[in-house]
Amino acid sequence: MDFDAIVVGSGISGGWVAKELCERGLKTLVLERGRDVQHRVDYLDFSPPWELPHRGMVPEEEKAQHYAIQSTSYAFNSASSQWFVRDSEHPYSTPMDRPFKWIRGYQLGGRSITWGRQTYRMSDFDFNANRLDGHGVDWPIRYADISPWYDRVERFAGISGSNEGLEQLPDGQFLAPMALNCVERAFKQKVEADHPTRRVTVARCAHLTEPTPEHIALGRGPCQLRNVCERGCGYGGYFSSLSATLPAARKTGNLTVITDAIVERLDYDHAKQRVSGVRVIDAKTRQGRSYQARVVFVCASTLGTAQILLASRSEHFPNGLANRSDTVGRYLMDHVMGLGATGTHPGFLDRYYYGRRPAGFYLPRYVNLTERGATDFVRGFGFQGYSYRSSWDRGVNEPGVGAELKQRLRYPGRWEMTLIGFGEMLPRPDNRVTLSERTDRWGIPLLHIDCTHGENERRIAERASRDAAAMLAASGYENIRSNGPIRAPGDAVHEMGTARMGRDPATSVLNRYNQAHDVTNLFVTDGSCMTSTGTVNPSLTYMALSARAANHAADLMGSGEI
Amino acid sequence: MPESRQNPNATINRRSLLLGAVFMLGGAAALTRFVRKPAADGVVETVFSPEQFALLEQVVDVIIPRTDTPGALDAGVPAFMHQMLAEWASPQTRADVINVLESIERRAWNKYGAAFRELPGERRFEVMRALDDEGLAREDLAYRKFKSLVLVGYYHSELGATQELRYELVPGAWRSCLPLTEVGRASAV
Repeated sequence: MDFDAIVVGSGISGGWVAKELCERGLKTLVLERGRDVQHRVDYLDFSPPWELPHRGMVPEEEKAQHYAIQSTSYAFNSASSQWFVRDSEHPYSTPMDRPFKWIRGYQLGGRSITWGRQTYRMSDFDFNANRLDGHGVDWPIRYADISPWYDRVERFAGISGSNEGLEQLPDGQFLAPMALNCVERAFKQKVEADHPTRRVTVARCAHLTEPTPEHIALGRGPCQLRNVCERGCGYGGYFSSLSATLPAARKTGNLTVITDAIVERLDYDHAKQRVSGVRVIDAKTRQGRSYQARVVFVCASTLGTAQILLASRSEHFPNGLANRSDTVGRYLMDHVMGLGATGTHPGFLDRYYYGRRPAGFYLPRYVNLTERGATDFVRGFGFQGYSYRSSWDRGVNEPGVGAELKQRLRYPGRWEMTLIGFGEMLPRPDNRVTLSERTDRWGIPLLHIDCTHGENERRIAERASRDAAAMLAASGYENIRSNGPIRAPGDAVHEMGTARMGRDPATSVLNRYNQAHDVTNLFVTDGSCMTSTGTVNPSLTYMALSARAANHAADLMGSGEI
Repeated sequence: MPESRQNPNATINRRSLLLGAVFMLGGAAALTRFVRKPAADGVVETVFSPEQFALLEQVVDVIIPRTDTPGALDAGVPAFMHQMLAEWASPQTRADVINVLESIERRAWNKYGAAFRELPGERRFEVMRALDDEGLAREDLAYRKFKSLVLVGYYHSELGATQELRYELVPGAWRSCLPLTEVGRASAV
């Protein structure tokens, strides 16, 4: 054996698995398909706007030719485009009438560099949802199983937030919360007065408001309120694989990282019911090679993991590794995102703020939960929101030139508030990825993604838009614009579900510890393991499940079971 | 292609130095002679004629004049727009911006029977105000692109961001609710 463990992928999930395994004394190899990245050194976070390439704007033709999909991300600009793949070099296919947005970053740290950093716990309302309404299979775990692991990952990652005592949004181990601004405080008062079970709380986010000695020992410092997170943060002010988990893993002396190593497939030894090798293609030389280890974690992202498992065909798994149930690649989900509203407040013109808070506020789920009113859909949605005073850029669309324009733009404009709904997407077998007959330049079959929203998602989106507009109107906002219509899946960059956990090997891929039902030394802990989406941003749950699964695997290895 | 893969700051700084040197040598005409866009087929293409660049200087000076703070000319907006058209803009955007410049010259002739550069300040302002009113009312995309480049060029320049507005590279704190008078001006980002 070359290593005790191999981890495929270095994003949020892979980074966590590597840290936990290394800290348990296991020699661990992390394989990353993208290039190496040096924390701090490779970031463009110390450039003011006038020093950014083209003031932050990616050249128009380059954007159209190479980043047609990636450039739709809010985080895409000329200081962050290095963290996004070129669509022109990494194609995938969809049916003509069913687009899917696949936002990706192939480099050490993956999308943990550009993630939105919003971190919320799922609750038993989420873990019970499939069982209660019959969509999808039952989660094999409940909140009590994952709660201590949420504690563990929150402490290490550093999550700022406010404990609220809500059953649908469990409290956690939080650093000091960031504060709501003036108009958000007024909005909170009004919403909570009008709707007793709705709550507005400052965003829980993976930012160090008060670094602990453990954070400082890893070279991390407090968030500096710059809000240039998508470029990478030299202060380590927010959690990423590069700022946190990989440095911690390295400290143990047990970590090996190999970049530019694209996993083509996993070899399977039927006699032992184990993965016997990980086959890799060198991204630069296209040479193939193979690595062996006692245990393999696939954390290549929801779609990347499905691609690897589906490509790992063998005599005993003709439809792909660990796919006896024919569920690998199926039940692809994303959050229903973007359906909400924006409004302008006429007041508070003598109030402002200082600093650039990197997150807004959160309004957790209430519909079909704490509010019992009848709806025409199952499940629900939460809102992320933010507000700010507009600046000079409003001058583009407001008439005026000359000294008058300049004088007007010297001061901030009106307050704007936006509420963005994040709704559940139901698991459906026909929302799936398959392997195409076309291959990429390394000879690996391309993914074909066939995924679309259904009627329940559309109804959730409509209700979210309506509620958002009503809450803004009640708080005195004007010129309210509802966002919509519903956008293609993938937009939330919360892909989940292509190798789901479940109780029954006939209908799911993974057991309650993210271990493949049929392959004892294979674990999957990225978004593909998700049995349902819930309404909250999922990364914190991937962290907790990754840490839990890694420690379970280490236990099994210690007892000789795998 | 993108130089941003390696070290964009170094590239930008070199280019800024070059532009600065050109300005010292011979002003706008020298700039358009020396700073050119190499097209894909190797043909060298000039973004602005010397006359167009001179017009651009006069126009941005009307849109954002020097007052008690620096104006668009002080902030190097014409050179910025030249760089953006040469390196950032699509052929369509390049044509749009140049069309806007040409339409300004046409308006000057139609309304006042003289070139824009010959007009006194208040007439230049009237030409630009009419263009702005109509451009925004018509939702003219070309005009919006033009105005947007002028405003980005000014407010995200060092002078615009730090002297006209306020900008901190590292705010270091979040003060969530303050009297506007305590903060002063709008934040540039």
